[in-house]
Amino acid sequence: MDVTMNVNGRELTASVPPETTLLRLLREDWDLTGAKLGCDVGDCGACTVLLDGQAVNACLMLAGQADGRQITTIEGLADLDAFHPLQKTFEDLAALQCGFCGPGIILAAKYLLDTNPNPSTAEIRDGLSGNLCRCTGYTKIIEAVADTAKELAAKQDAA
Amino acid sequence: MDDNVKVVEAETSLEALREADEALRLPAVAEPITYPIETKVPDARQQTPAVGQRATRPDGRLHGLGQTKYIDDLSFPGMIHAKIKRAGIAHARIKSVDVSEAAKMPGVLATLVGAEIPVNSFGPSLQDQPVLASDIVYHAGDGVAAVAAVTEQLAADALEKITVEYEPMTPVFDPLEAMSDDAPKVHDPDSNIYATKVIKKGDVDKGFEDADHIFEATFRTQMVEHVPLEPHATIADWDGNGRLTLWSSLGRITMGRADVSRTLGLPYNRIRIIGTIVGGNFGGKNEITQEPILGLLSKKTGRPVKGVYSREDEFMSSTTRHPFIMEYKTGINSDGRIVARKVRLVCDGGAYCSWSETTLGKACILSAGPYNIDNLHVEAFAVYTNKTMTGAMRGFGAPQVCFAYESHMDDMAKELGIDPLEIRLLNAFEENAASPTGQVLESVVVKESLQIAAERFGWKD
Amino acid sequence: MKPFEFIKAVSTEEAVAALAEHGPGIRILAGGTDLLVELKHASQSPGVVLDVSAIDDLGAITLDDDGLHIGAGATHTAIMTNPLIAEHAPAMIDAAHTVGSVLTRNLGTLGGNLVTCVPSMDSGPVLVALEAEVTLAGSGGRRRMPLTEFFVGPRKTILGPGEMLVDILIPKANLGKPTGFVKFGLRKGQALALVNAASASWTEDGKFKSPRISLGAVAPVVIRCPAAEAALDGQPVSEEAINEAAKIAAGEAKPIDDFRASKSYRLDLIEVGVRRTLAAAAGLQGD
Repeated sequence: MDVTMNVNGRELTASVPPETTLLRLLREDWDLTGAKLGCDVGDCGACTVLLDGQAVNACLMLAGQADGRQITTIEGLADLDAFHPLQKTFEDLAALQCGFCGPGIILAAKYLLDTNPNPSTAEIRDGLSGNLCRCTGYTKIIEAVADTAKELAAKQDAA
Repeated sequence: MDDNVKVVEAETSLEALREADEALRLPAVAEPITYPIETKVPDARQQTPAVGQRATRPDGRLHGLGQTKYIDDLSFPGMIHAKIKRAGIAHARIKSVDVSEAAKMPGVLATLVGAEIPVNSFGPSLQDQPVLASDIVYHAGDGVAAVAAVTEQLAADALEKITVEYEPMTPVFDPLEAMSDDAPKVHDPDSNIYATKVIKKGDVDKGFEDADHIFEATFRTQMVEHVPLEPHATIADWDGNGRLTLWSSLGRITMGRADVSRTLGLPYNRIRIIGTIVGGNFGGKNEITQEPILGLLSKKTGRPVKGVYSREDEFMSSTTRHPFIMEYKTGINSDGRIVARKVRLVCDGGAYCSWSETTLGKACILSAGPYNIDNLHVEAFAVYTNKTMTGAMRGFGAPQVCFAYESHMDDMAKELGIDPLEIRLLNAFEENAASPTGQVLESVVVKESLQIAAERFGWKD
Repeated sequence: MKPFEFIKAVSTEEAVAALAEHGPGIRILAGGTDLLVELKHASQSPGVVLDVSAIDDLGAITLDDDGLHIGAGATHTAIMTNPLIAEHAPAMIDAAHTVGSVLTRNLGTLGGNLVTCVPSMDSGPVLVALEAEVTLAGSGGRRRMPLTEFFVGPRKTILGPGEMLVDILIPKANLGKPTGFVKFGLRKGQALALVNAASASWTEDGKFKSPRISLGAVAPVVIRCPAAEAALDGQPVSEEAINEAAKIAAGEAKPIDDFRASKSYRLDLIEVGVRRTLAAAAGLQGD
């Protein structure tokens, strides 16, 4: 079947078998390999993407389900001018180690900050509850999200 | 020649070159070696500039951008996909493997069974692990056949069409049971114990006699799976010169090359392993898994072949942390000084040795803890069971014994009415203490660390 | 996953027609958080997958004379952020918050959670305590029944061939009824419940009035505790009455031993859960 989606601001089309998950569609048909396959059953969050702005597990969606929707992947966060503040802070704080959880966690964090610009540590943990990291112990990741929240709030105040 | 061009004779000497090297800190010209060579031993506890600094990681930027390419993100023209059929039975003799139905399926380009592997055994210390089980299945996660197909789904479907006839054998799951003479035997018909280590220091029996109190306890730890977020992944491809290239999540690529050379009967110089950025290892990707399988499937099909473990494969068929059963007997005086200790470690060695010998050794040496014990006897055994392979995992035997000796210490402190911190300070190593195997230790800061930590935690409050 | 045919419905009528037309294997896709996991492990193809996630009114949350209607297609996140639910049945927000993780809550639906019908479902107990009713739609029309009748057994509902769950109703009489919910799990997120407890009760003249106690993960389906309710009804709001009701409720459950928890631990948790949720419903500080 044919599907069309707005991915990172561009309209993309593909012709795929109906049983294709959104994750495989992104990775194999559109070469957007930022979203990862960690478990394929929605437990690890390595496949997190934004669907109409909401963070979801791409491995738990069928391509047809996402047809006509707007998708943001990790590749869509930075533009030619700048990194997304989350990407910058994650880099500065060395919040990631092997990096496999990175795209998923950053997108989940973006969704958190979009819906809750001033999250407490408990709320950050809750917002990242669908993303597993086996390397870091989450400490610097949570710090990076908190720092980014403060940074974005300061920018808002200045604006 | 033009008279206006001046030719300048450059004044070079070895000394001048070395001076230039100094400036650049590039050893382009080596210093002459004078024998005997004096090795520089750094002073103990010398602060280095790196300590206390927050460091950024050079790969952090690409990770955040999603640009890092792990093995599964790589794709080559014509690449096909492989899947491995798992035995699903803990112990059995394979009577027959029939891949004919799978081979016929459209989109399936090759199949592979254990009998086709040139040398079907490998392993970091004992070569007891088959690439694909061909005669006996030793644990449910054993691969018994593999297919390569144009899509992953087709490969998975093809596995269902492979019929394997098993003659079930009696498995053994409990390591203590496995140690007995009449237990079902996993590999060696005589014994399931495949590694033994003993440390003897002083005289434990006399120590126990002299001690005011004797405490005994048994501790057990569980099997743990690394769960790297990135599953094991490998791509195999051959070039026109008959050389095999493997892109793999494998950590030890030099050792991996040796194992691929052995199992495929290829000289080292025909094998190239590219270890790219890995999505978590923790010890679980320290030996080859599917590399020879993919190598052969690639040879058969003439195509690059990619294999990625499913999460189920990760749990069933990849190495795990050894469960330990640890029996501790400690002779201790009323003031809290440990006089003697006897330790018996039984390490559940899974279906294959993997890194068990190393793990056992480490566990033995560390089983006394960082404490001065004059009389010590440690006996450790690695035992085969028909369960998932146990291998390297961060700590390599240390976490298990640490849990045991520290819990034991707390129990004894409680019984004797001594503060758990004080009892440790009384027994702890100091500078130039000797490990149970006689290594003289430097930079020993056990007591200082405990005291600083206690202060920071507010232990006294 | 095995190949299947994919149909996307844009209205409930279209969905019902598709259910009637295709074989009994047809599966409904609302969020997909349960279905896709199942299909990935299934040895047979379902034949047809019917996507109902694009049916707008299937996810609507509305108030009318019957009470508060929650469309089967409402996601857990939609429930957590809906002002009508916050006003009339805020315990549903607590319950929705414990489902899976933030990622699965953005996709997963209330209807899906109820239809998958595992004993440990998180959305069941509050609805059962509030005496919710469900509406099923099929080619023969619609039928409505108490939620407790909808649950038949583990992974088994009363849905017949060609039927789908469309609506969950909290009756008008129970809107605003103080309700407490607690979930005990081995983790705070992505956890399967060891025990779920929900208690709803009015209080009048310092006495419990019409208390309703519901337990999850301790029987083949989410259950009510009628004996505990009867014992508590009319009792003064007190620690003694709450403790007594909790003990009786534990006796009405049938928890099992499994690798997550022992039967005795679950019995312990039931009492704690009932105590805490009754205290919450009565406006007291719980333990």
